[in-house]
Amino acid sequence: MVKDRNSFILRLLSTLFVILAINFFLPRMMPGDPFSTTSADEVGEEIIVMTEEQRLYYLNYYGLDRPLHEQFLGYMKNLMKGDLGRSIYYKMPVRDVIMLHLPWTVLIVVGATIISTISGVVLGTLSAKNRKKGSDRLMMMGMISFAEIPSFLLGLILLLVFSVHLRLFPLAGAVTPFADYNGPAEQAWDILYHASLPIVTLSLSQLTGVYLLTRNTLITVTTKDYIRTARAKGLGENTVWIRHALRNALLPVVTRTGFMIGIMMGGVVLVESVFSYPGIGMTLRSAVVGRDYPLIQGILLVIAVSILICNLLVDKIYGKLDPRVVI
Amino acid sequence: MSLLKINDLKCHYLTDIDTVKAVDGISFEIEDGEILGIVGESGSGKTTVALGIMGLLPENTAISGEILYRDELISSLPESGMDRFRWKDIAIVFQNSLEVLNPVMKVGVQVTEPMIKHLDLSPYKARSKCADLFRTVGLDPKWVDSYPHQLSGGMRQRVLLAMALSCDPKLLILDEVTSALDAFTRKEIRDLLVDLQKKNGYTMLMISHDITFVSSVASRIAVMYSGRVVETGPVRDILVSPRHPYTRGLVHSTPDIFVYKDLWGIPGDVPAGNEFKGCPFSPRCTQKIDICSKASPVLMPVGGGREIACHRGGIAGLLEAKNLNFSYRLPDGEYLQAVDNVSLEVREGEVLAIVGQTGSGKSTLAHILANVIRPESGEVLFMDGNVSGGNYGNRFNGIQIVFQDPFSSTSNRFTVLDAVKEPLYINKIGSNGDRLQMVKNALELVRLPNTDNFLQKYCGELSGGQRQRVALARAMVMEPKLLIADEITSALDVSTSANVLRLLKGLQNRRGFAMIYISHDLSLTLKIADRIAVMDSGKIVETGNSHDVMLSPSDEYTKRLVGSRIGLCCHTH
Repeated sequence: MVKDRNSFILRLLSTLFVILAINFFLPRMMPGDPFSTTSADEVGEEIIVMTEEQRLYYLNYYGLDRPLHEQFLGYMKNLMKGDLGRSIYYKMPVRDVIMLHLPWTVLIVVGATIISTISGVVLGTLSAKNRKKGSDRLMMMGMISFAEIPSFLLGLILLLVFSVHLRLFPLAGAVTPFADYNGPAEQAWDILYHASLPIVTLSLSQLTGVYLLTRNTLITVTTKDYIRTARAKGLGENTVWIRHALRNALLPVVTRTGFMIGIMMGGVVLVESVFSYPGIGMTLRSAVVGRDYPLIQGILLVIAVSILICNLLVDKIYGKLDPRVVI
Repeated sequence: MSLLKINDLKCHYLTDIDTVKAVDGISFEIEDGEILGIVGESGSGKTTVALGIMGLLPENTAISGEILYRDELISSLPESGMDRFRWKDIAIVFQNSLEVLNPVMKVGVQVTEPMIKHLDLSPYKARSKCADLFRTVGLDPKWVDSYPHQLSGGMRQRVLLAMALSCDPKLLILDEVTSALDAFTRKEIRDLLVDLQKKNGYTMLMISHDITFVSSVASRIAVMYSGRVVETGPVRDILVSPRHPYTRGLVHSTPDIFVYKDLWGIPGDVPAGNEFKGCPFSPRCTQKIDICSKASPVLMPVGGGREIACHRGGIAGLLEAKNLNFSYRLPDGEYLQAVDNVSLEVREGEVLAIVGQTGSGKSTLAHILANVIRPESGEVLFMDGNVSGGNYGNRFNGIQIVFQDPFSSTSNRFTVLDAVKEPLYINKIGSNGDRLQMVKNALELVRLPNTDNFLQKYCGELSGGQRQRVALARAMVMEPKLLIADEITSALDVSTSANVLRLLKGLQNRRGFAMIYISHDLSLTLKIADRIAVMDSGKIVETGNSHDVMLSPSDEYTKRLVGSRIGLCCHTH
């Protein structure tokens, strides 16, 4: 048991080290550096082109002219102290930048996870119950063709239809600028109002996966002997489906949810850009454009760690749900 | 009023490729308080019957016929209507498999679940009743909170039983409850069931391929084959004198009933095609006639509460001897009564052993039966006397005899070919080319080489075992319906005799001829005989099922015969 635990921690640490190394070297392998940016993020933004002298000065100032391995060691040392470095663009600690934007991302990712899982499970169950009937075939076909639409395209369509034409939802941002709220309820409503479209977009991108997994696992599960046993006991269709079949079919869905959060953390970059939603996805994008190495590293690290934590949590939850698994 | 009545139930599984007739027109009734056993090989449709009663057959099943529970038609009820009967009236104990219980639910919850639903018990009350049930089935109540995978197979079976008993059902269906269990647990479950039946008077439908287990609990048995019932009747009668050839095969392949006999299964398989119209057992049957492959027989009462589905009315008689007498004139003018008023019967496909000490008249009887010598009085009827005129010995599908001493029964100066061909030659059967092929086939049957080189060997060059096999081939070439083997192994050494005997029994089992096996060696006869007739001074003193005769001989002479076996040094008897 102790040995298992040790090897588990060792595995975790080595995974983390590999992630850190990639986070560190990958941005630096991109052409350019933070001080030779020539492209502007948005039209009309002022392009500041530094002289070579200024560039060298800043490179020296941020220690970017030192050999890579020295920089890496320095980065690791600071990281041990909990210091993620300073953002070159924002001129403030990376940690603060992340803390500023992370909550928005967490909001839409968690929201999307909950919505896509619940609706996927419900639709999958309906589909499985009507297996081989028209409604199941139709739903399945719709879902599969739907899954082929990339999430950013879907986001654009939603934005055009609901925000531009119908004016039902805001075009950008996470809150109404300069709003004056009458109490927290109104503030919460405003936040939800802004988060709706990004959440829906993210949810829809994951829905088909959950739906298909639920449907197919349920169909497999319903052929099992224990379902026949439950049926023999005369418990009624609903109990058989929900307590016996769904309870077993949800096990792989739970595992999938863990991976799904990882996938969404990647997808969130595009979705947030489409909706100009100020989460870490959009921050990452501008950091990459601006070659803001410390910020890129910081955000990638946060994403990686959150994926690791999700997987750990899923393992723990799975162990609770499936008594056959011993963790 | 019977508790459950099934009328012409048919359950056909429709797949994309074909239709599997799992149950094909069966009818039976279960009276209140009765235990009915359904036995049959795997794939005979037993479990389908159980699932059919519970209304649990898969959607692709075409069901016809009626299932009546207390005169109420339950076979056409929808799911929700069926739920009224499930568990409270009819409960089932499933065969224990890894996933028969929900793997993510505690077993206690699974047992209490139907009580809460059907008996309106509070979860707390249900739980305490669950503990009682666990105690009833011999399971420690501490297991209530464990998951199925934490229990052993036997414990899971007990949980399944407790679950089935939870709502006090009127009818309990038990589907292969012991097949996965070891002998101890099997016995415990059996005792438990018998106990429960005595105390609570459950009506049970017990389904199993384990005929021993079923017969120890049930009062009546229905034997299923290929989706049909081929024989029903009281347990004891069916075990002691099975009437259908399939039932006999099943009983004979049961080691618990024939303790000493070597295990020989029923050769062949269930016919697979759907287009097959005849009796499903006919491809494996030893006594089939033309009609058997054309029409399928229906279950007919034959008296004594028994019913049987067979065109020939069950296992047919093959040879009947009535009041045979034969005596030798001794040199002093006295007569020795070698065969004294002997009557016996040999049925299709059966092995009858005639045992007795030397001089008891066995061989004389054998010679009379084989039509080698004529009896002074009495008659021998072969196939109901249809083959009369005493020529049943020299025709195809008649009677053949193999004698004790291969050295005198096969001539030294004959080649193997001539020796085996001789009966064909004498009886003018086949052309020369046909005969050669028949000889070769017969030699192959007895596992002798059929090369030209071997065919041209003289019998004098062969060993004792080989010569006895040549004699056997000479009998087999006439494809007998009855083979009389007269002490055929007594001249051979132990190993050779074992080989010849296994060969003979194998042939008999595969080709389905009947056999009279004459021997003074009790241990050997026990290995192959279905029935034993004991002979003493010309009389048959006892006949019966081989292992009954051996284990509980009733005649004084038989007792002495059984007692006179020389045990090995380490045996005490």
